[in-house]
Amino acid sequence: MSKLLNVKNLSLEIKSSNKNILKNINFDIYKSEIVSLIGESGSGKSLTALSIIRLLEKSCRITDGEINYLNKNILLLEEKKMRAIRKNEISMIFQEPMRSLNPVMNIYDQLKESYTVKNTKNIKKEIINNLVSVGISDAERVISLYPHQLSGGMKQRVMIAMAIACKPKLLIADEPTTSLDVTIQKQVLDLLLELKNKMNMSILFITHDLAVASQISDKIIVMRDGEIIEKANTTNFFKNPKNTYSKSLLDSTHYLKKENKKETNHNDNTLDIKNLRVYFEESKSFFSKQKKFIKAVDDVSIKIKTGSTHAIVGESGSGKTTVAKAVMGLAKITSGSIKIQNKDISNLSSRETINHRKNYQMIFQDPFSSLNPRMRIGAIIKEGLCFLNPEINKKEMDFLLEDVLYKVGMTNDALKKYPHEFSGGQRQRIAIARVLVLNPKLLICDEPTSSLDVTVQKQVINLLTEIQRRSNVSYLFISHDIKLVSSISDTISVMKNGKVVESGKTFDIINHTKNEYTKKLLSSVPQIIN
Amino acid sequence: MVTFLLTDIFFYIIILSLFLYIRYVINTPDILETWSYVFKNKTGILSAIVLSFFMMIAFLDSIHFKEKIYNNDKKSYVYSSEIKSLLDTILIPMYENTEKSYSSPFSGHLYTKETIKVSDKIEERDYPKLLHKGNHNKYFENNLYNIFLTLIIALAKSFLISIFIYLIIFRRTLFKKDNRMISALFDNKFLFLSVFSIISISLVLYDLSFQYYVLGTDKVGVDVLYKSIKSIRTGILIGTLTTIVMLPFAVFLGIFAGYIGGIVDDIIQYIYTTLNSIPSVLLIASAILMLQVFMANNPLEFENIYERADMRLFFLCMILGLTSWTGLCRLLRGESMKLREVEYVQASKTFGLSKFSIIVRHVMPNIMHIVIITVVLDFSALVLAEAVLSYVNIGVDPTTYSWGNMINAARLEMSREPVVWWSLFAAFLFMFILVLFANLFSDVVRDAFDPRASKHYE
Repeated sequence: MSKLLNVKNLSLEIKSSNKNILKNINFDIYKSEIVSLIGESGSGKSLTALSIIRLLEKSCRITDGEINYLNKNILLLEEKKMRAIRKNEISMIFQEPMRSLNPVMNIYDQLKESYTVKNTKNIKKEIINNLVSVGISDAERVISLYPHQLSGGMKQRVMIAMAIACKPKLLIADEPTTSLDVTIQKQVLDLLLELKNKMNMSILFITHDLAVASQISDKIIVMRDGEIIEKANTTNFFKNPKNTYSKSLLDSTHYLKKENKKETNHNDNTLDIKNLRVYFEESKSFFSKQKKFIKAVDDVSIKIKTGSTHAIVGESGSGKTTVAKAVMGLAKITSGSIKIQNKDISNLSSRETINHRKNYQMIFQDPFSSLNPRMRIGAIIKEGLCFLNPEINKKEMDFLLEDVLYKVGMTNDALKKYPHEFSGGQRQRIAIARVLVLNPKLLICDEPTSSLDVTVQKQVINLLTEIQRRSNVSYLFISHDIKLVSSISDTISVMKNGKVVESGKTFDIINHTKNEYTKKLLSSVPQIIN
Repeated sequence: MVTFLLTDIFFYIIILSLFLYIRYVINTPDILETWSYVFKNKTGILSAIVLSFFMMIAFLDSIHFKEKIYNNDKKSYVYSSEIKSLLDTILIPMYENTEKSYSSPFSGHLYTKETIKVSDKIEERDYPKLLHKGNHNKYFENNLYNIFLTLIIALAKSFLISIFIYLIIFRRTLFKKDNRMISALFDNKFLFLSVFSIISISLVLYDLSFQYYVLGTDKVGVDVLYKSIKSIRTGILIGTLTTIVMLPFAVFLGIFAGYIGGIVDDIIQYIYTTLNSIPSVLLIASAILMLQVFMANNPLEFENIYERADMRLFFLCMILGLTSWTGLCRLLRGESMKLREVEYVQASKTFGLSKFSIIVRHVMPNIMHIVIITVVLDFSALVLAEAVLSYVNIGVDPTTYSWGNMINAARLEMSREPVVWWSLFAAFLFMFILVLFANLFSDVVRDAFDPRASKHYE
């Protein structure tokens, strides 16, 4: 096999700070080989890819090293020749298919740009063939559509079709499946593998997901803080990773199975949802009397026992977040009842609701937007406390703040800082502290880990289980990640299109499900192949 | 006798609220820390000092009074019908003397030749000498030497004055050691330097004004420098008063429309769309004309031309405010619509906070940067708008000193030969300084209030 790309001693710095963010990167990519670049956010994996295709931002500067493509150092090429290489030899696909396609051009026009041939008739045929080859069977119809008319998976396929239109020798895929649902992720991965075999293409695959990498790649490169810390064959890597950091990465993908708790003597339900329906009115027009409804949640019933964890699993658009919003009173209930600690929350007066609210609280998905950037951490944590316990005095408050920060593993000096001074994991701890300080009986966690790095994810999950063990709080855990959910929940509901398709004990569902959809979900979860 | 014009009262209110805000800031450590970033920044210090100097001039110009005129018996007196301001008494060298017509800066004679009687029989065409200034040099006969020496003396004086001011403030903060933040502020060479430069520039101009018309005279022989300084009050009033009229509309309606949505949003949108569809120049013109008709029909309501001119200025601010809130309102509506869906607002909803407290705690602070930027940009735009409106004769009263009126007059001055350039130049220079420093100041303030800019933590 011959060498396609060789990166030698690549170093890169940010101009303003003279700080090296890539240090001595060395690796090779051979022909028709898939190399995975693995690392957490900020490890420099995307920057490596961008320097290969020479699309770095102006604030960065390559200080040292070579990137040899077919024995030619492309860092020395003039821009015009580099453009030709980008067009014909090295292509790239990006993370967000929604943002990478121009919303005002139809698919045909966008794809046409990737071809150099002037003959329109042939182009059309080629485009259709191309789209078929990326698995869009009704390509004739699709080429006249606009990006918003396509689903996320379809868009990513179109992006891939664009990238392979010129039959590149190297495809750089920067987290191409991160924003996609698991079932679609599987399709895209299969497609990439198939294309690689058919077209003899090499792929540099950038991901933070070890399982995905294990399925697709021949070689694994682990990066951390701008350095390569381990390079290995995929099979060797997963059998015995040499570096401690790689080990901890691998560890963080395995969650400890929750030991089957003895049936607690708590038999009362913390949360009891009966036949919940939440319909949204679709585009109310002033003139038409007919109302159209979107059935976001349709006839959902859930019970959670005190001190246990119930998970709702589903793909995006399945209505799982709407259930959470309905419980929190953020979405209007169309019919059905929600009882929390045996009180029906829709029947409470506003006074009673305020008194009751401290018993059920919510942790949001994105810790970067769930904390007000202009408030100090102290004020953020105090906010709910002051409102829901107005009689509390300053001394008690200070004690509670200190206590809750200790519980989530942070120190007191955080109180005077602003959210932007913390990392994602720390912010999520703060978000947890904010609700924990109210001492709730029910916590709704809406994908609390999905925007965090894998090692941080594990810390947050451990924190949540620790809190449950200590204070007997119940969780309604919402996630798209059935693997994660299977390790922490006692019971589980699988949702699809607003309906619960299956529910029961977690163990039963994971191991002996009868439902087709659940089977599909389970099978498309990437597993680490040893 | 002190008299209060309508705009004076509003100006006092503005100054008072500024003062109260400063007191509030000093007593609140968090906000003081944020503001102290502004004063650690060189641009911030300089622009704050220039702006407060302008404010001070405008304030002095807002204290109006009528002078006593004694009758022949030296005991009984009447009040003069002329209203003077405190600034006029300070600027006496510029205020008292007027020439016959145009004269160029530092010149000793008029700008045009006239027929001068040398004796009873001989007449001669020459530039007539100025009556009051330009020919009465204090130190040297030679103009250049004289100007130079005046300059040196003024610089020396201002150096002494600024050291004096500096010591007073610095000493006081030394004695009061409890507030380290403030003493740190004044322990700053750049601060001293900018105070010194402002004092020296104004002192040089002031000293020179005793002997020269530094920026020449206008058509009726009034000192152009005096006119430009008097215009500061008009400019600042139009900038601030209009903003104060416009802000509540923009902020409250914008947030309500965006945050509450539904029918409230519809109504507010219709209001500002309608208002936007009326050409604002037309609206301003009609309002000003209506006011003129009203003043013509009720001559008894207005004692003298000063009050009429003042009424017109006030009315102009109101109508400008009513037409200029829509842009900011639209921006804020969009921003609060976005904020309504942000997770930290959702999180507060789950605490059961009321709409009002969510708006105050979460929405307001996060749109403030837009408000600050827009207000300062609008401030500059309004100062300029005054010039435009005066140019088409629907701005302030022709008797009011304003940069707009000066520019309007310059239209004719520029079309004559040789060109009279100093009026336009003076108006441009003063306007430029005010608008530039307002913009610089707003930049620094915005950076200070944005925690993500995070410069002040490093």
